[in-house]
Amino acid sequence: MTDAAFSALASLADPSLLMMLAVGVVAGLVIGLIPGLGGTGAVAILLPITFGMDPEPALAMLIGALAVVHTSDTVAAVLLGAPGSASASVTMLDGYSMARQGQAKRALSLAFLSSMAGGLIGAVGLTLAIPLARPLVLSFGSPELFMLTILGVSLAAVLSRGNVVKGLTAGLLGLLLGLVGTSPTTAEERFSFGSLFLSDGISLVAVALGVFGLAEIASRVGQRRVSEKPVELSGGWGSGIREWLTHWTHVIRGALIGIWAGVLPGVGATAGTWLAYGQAVATAKDKRSFGKGDPRGIVGPESANNSVEAGDLIPTFLFGIPGGVPSAMLLGMLLTYGIQPGPAIVTDHLDLMYLIVWAFAIASVAGAFLCFLATGSLAKLTKVPFAVLGPGLLVVMLLGAFQEGGQLGDLWVMVTLGVVGFFLKATGMPRAPFLIGFVLAIPMERYYYLTANLYDGAAWLARPGVLVFAAILVVPVLWSLVKRLRRASGAADDGHRDEHESDEHDGDELEGSLARTPWSLGVAVIAALLFAGALWVSGSFSEEARLMPRLVALGGLVVALVLTWQELRARRRGVPRGGDGAVDEPAGSSGATMLATRVEPKVDARALNRRHDLMIGARTFAAMAAFLVLVMVGGYLAATLVFTPLFLLYAARTRPRTAIIYTLVLGAVLLALPSLLPVDLPLGLLQ
Amino acid sequence: MTQHVDEEDVATTADEDTGPTQDPPERPAPTPRLAGAVLAGFTALAVGVSVLGGDFLNPAASTADGDYSGETVEMMIPLAEGGGTDTWARFVGAELTEAVPGSPGLAPVNDDGGEGILGTNHFMSSAKTDGTEVLVSTASTVVPYLLDMPSVRYDFNNLRPVLANGTGAVVYARTGAGVHGVEDLVDRDKPLIFGGIAATSLDLTTMLAFDLLSADIDSTFGFEGRGPVNLALQRGEVDIDYQTTPSYEPAVEPLVEDGTAVPLFSLGQVNEDGEIVRDPNFPDLPTVVEAYEKIYGKQPDPEALETYRAILALTYTYQKALWVPEDTPDEAVELLRSTAEDMGAEPAFQKSAAEVLGGYPLDASPDLADRIGEAYRVDESVRQDVLELLENDYDITIDQG
Repeated sequence: MTDAAFSALASLADPSLLMMLAVGVVAGLVIGLIPGLGGTGAVAILLPITFGMDPEPALAMLIGALAVVHTSDTVAAVLLGAPGSASASVTMLDGYSMARQGQAKRALSLAFLSSMAGGLIGAVGLTLAIPLARPLVLSFGSPELFMLTILGVSLAAVLSRGNVVKGLTAGLLGLLLGLVGTSPTTAEERFSFGSLFLSDGISLVAVALGVFGLAEIASRVGQRRVSEKPVELSGGWGSGIREWLTHWTHVIRGALIGIWAGVLPGVGATAGTWLAYGQAVATAKDKRSFGKGDPRGIVGPESANNSVEAGDLIPTFLFGIPGGVPSAMLLGMLLTYGIQPGPAIVTDHLDLMYLIVWAFAIASVAGAFLCFLATGSLAKLTKVPFAVLGPGLLVVMLLGAFQEGGQLGDLWVMVTLGVVGFFLKATGMPRAPFLIGFVLAIPMERYYYLTANLYDGAAWLARPGVLVFAAILVVPVLWSLVKRLRRASGAADDGHRDEHESDEHDGDELEGSLARTPWSLGVAVIAALLFAGALWVSGSFSEEARLMPRLVALGGLVVALVLTWQELRARRRGVPRGGDGAVDEPAGSSGATMLATRVEPKVDARALNRRHDLMIGARTFAAMAAFLVLVMVGGYLAATLVFTPLFLLYAARTRPRTAIIYTLVLGAVLLALPSLLPVDLPLGLLQ
Repeated sequence: MTQHVDEEDVATTADEDTGPTQDPPERPAPTPRLAGAVLAGFTALAVGVSVLGGDFLNPAASTADGDYSGETVEMMIPLAEGGGTDTWARFVGAELTEAVPGSPGLAPVNDDGGEGILGTNHFMSSAKTDGTEVLVSTASTVVPYLLDMPSVRYDFNNLRPVLANGTGAVVYARTGAGVHGVEDLVDRDKPLIFGGIAATSLDLTTMLAFDLLSADIDSTFGFEGRGPVNLALQRGEVDIDYQTTPSYEPAVEPLVEDGTAVPLFSLGQVNEDGEIVRDPNFPDLPTVVEAYEKIYGKQPDPEALETYRAILALTYTYQKALWVPEDTPDEAVELLRSTAEDMGAEPAFQKSAAEVLGGYPLDASPDLADRIGEAYRVDESVRQDVLELLENDYDITIDQG
């Protein structure tokens, strides 16, 4: 075995092979920077190049790209708050907060170093896990996989900042959204209302970029100031490495969890990064700074999301079950070389397996190193006002979302979800559980259904794996209950403190700014109505297809009603000081104005700010919708050429010269992009 | 208490904040004339790009002259990147365009909407008829077509085949469930559990085989793919499964060798005379028909057999195919087809394509259109049989479109 390992390493010394690896790494890094393209884009662009190559250089190139895509996708999540994947949303929690505090460089350094270590540990894990993979995968039946999906959603709901009821409401809303489309068990359409587009389910990229990315644009274009705090670009690489080294245990734990989760087909990767975050929070003594820019919240998940890629290769090669589109394409490539996945791959193609391991390790180090060198210049991006970044970002993100299904409908969904994300953010509802719920809805239903059908009665509940997961699930809940009780005895009425602590700390004035206003009450009521509506609609489904939507809708209804009650109670308590009219105000900006005129000047400023945010948000979303209409008429390039100068001149108030150059550059990029990357531009009616 | 604290905090933040009125570097809106000029310039550019650019960039193709040089063939793959069909299509497409005179470029387009239905609908309504757009068909688009589902807006009778490639499948069972041969499929104390993806997928053919044999089987659908079913069988969660030819060797053979599983029968192949014969890749395994004879000692009911044969031909023997729109010039279709035929006969291609083609020949002979046409013209009686099976045994009603 060691012979094969070293001969594989020796073969990598071949300059042509190293060259291919370098091409892969650079392509992976560049593609990872564009939110929405991710690993699929990286492999799709490289795959055609590999036709006609020998397997070794082709593999080196693809692995090089796969190993680093999750290194550079951190950039958009940390700097812009626009995660292109479910796992990047975990890094975003603390990374984005840190960047908003002016410490973008610190956040990126930590993330890149952790990515590198995660990739390295993943490569070692890949080697060691090969003999263990079979028993591990076989010991995870449907009940365990079901528990894992539950765990993923609950951890996200409990650990995201904001109160648990809000987290659960968001998670259940996400689950409900994930159920839109064809049922995995009976192939019947649910919540699609006869639309073939919806019957396909909603695109993940549209959800991730809409709820986070577009909402971020809408809430920040109003701020023409650069950043809340001066960007700290000081501090050499040495200090970054030193700080990172102090968190080495988190790096290793995160990476191990990543490998383990990657090995489990289907649900591993998403749940895995949350488990990595969860263990970081659970084992920390001082938990208060999580979600507000805690380095430990970056290091663990970031190291996990790279090692997940390594772990994912194990079921791909050993069982032919890829964990995602990129590894599926890799599998296809192997097939064209006559290499069949299966347990025999370890004996028949051991040299190739080691080549993969080494290529993965080298690419991780090289990719993270390149990114690390670039942190300084990348971090400067936070100095550019968001209003100026906005149109370019919007154009790139919408283009990224369009690539998945090639449908304009996805873009409308994305803008709609942008509005949803805006309100979730403004009312202090955590959005991460929403995204995780969305991703895990179908696997959760699938494995619940299979568990219920393949096991007699409740016997599956006694399986050891299930018990372990149940324990992980219950302990944090108990812990937070205990914490709540203890806190309740100390200070009687600070049940809602957690959300409010956060908005001071990360300097994001929108986050939670609408909490405890008619708006947040409105969100709670709308959520309750949505769940009630879903419950009613699900009555028409067949018995098997109804099960999961029912459970989600019922659970959602309960938590949404609890939330509504909490909101009402909070408002009633607020009434004596806020003026009697507040409770009866209709949920609208007029309410905010009237409220503002009655109460003391402090509240006045707050209400004015709130109104300002809402106005800007409304205008930005209207601009986005107008852009989509333009796209439908004249195609993407033409729409960009009209929209960008308009937005820059009127919304961002840039100089005309800047607007012209900006637009021309953006147009040129769009014109060149389809020939450089596997990207299609949406076509309009006139084309 | 909290309320109070909050307000103070927010108020201090608000002081530093740039509210709408206190934004110092607010630049005035540009003068209408200037803005108008900038916008007019870009609008003119935009109109130019959208109206003229399309024609400049895509001149009309000339493919009827026996030469594809300078063209790009767009291949619609109505499924996601990375699946078996995608791999097959990309490989065959690349080899074919390489061999076509003039060596045109290849642009694979993956549109996986509606499990393949949306992409195929789209191709049907908007594909160019100059021979530069080809469609990939596979079981996931063929079965909904067969069942005449409402979302299907394509008709294979209005498309012309260029080449086809089949596959086969083997049904195997877990010995731990007490199965050692086809006889154990019937008269059981406890039904065998079959793991499936969906009744309206490729599983349909296997379900028809079980129906033909009157096998004592309970089906549980909802698995993510055949790989996970194979794992579930190893875990003992399901008892019986099938795997297509390419996956048989890596996924099932090791289990057969260590005695965990036993192969029962192959689904068979439909030969040129329309008979069900043994799968050339599994010459030692009986077909479903032989299995029936072994269990019951007689031939199966001809009508039921005909239904099975029709579905088998459609979903396996002609499973994957490349198509062009009906109005494509004959010269272009013939050029593509004959190139594919020559390519399929080349030993070098056969060797390099062995794994991708799964051990079945690339079929592009001159009578392909007739045979494939016959297979795709499903009799109403066959369709009704399938719909009845789904409704009676699986409680699935398909709306007819």
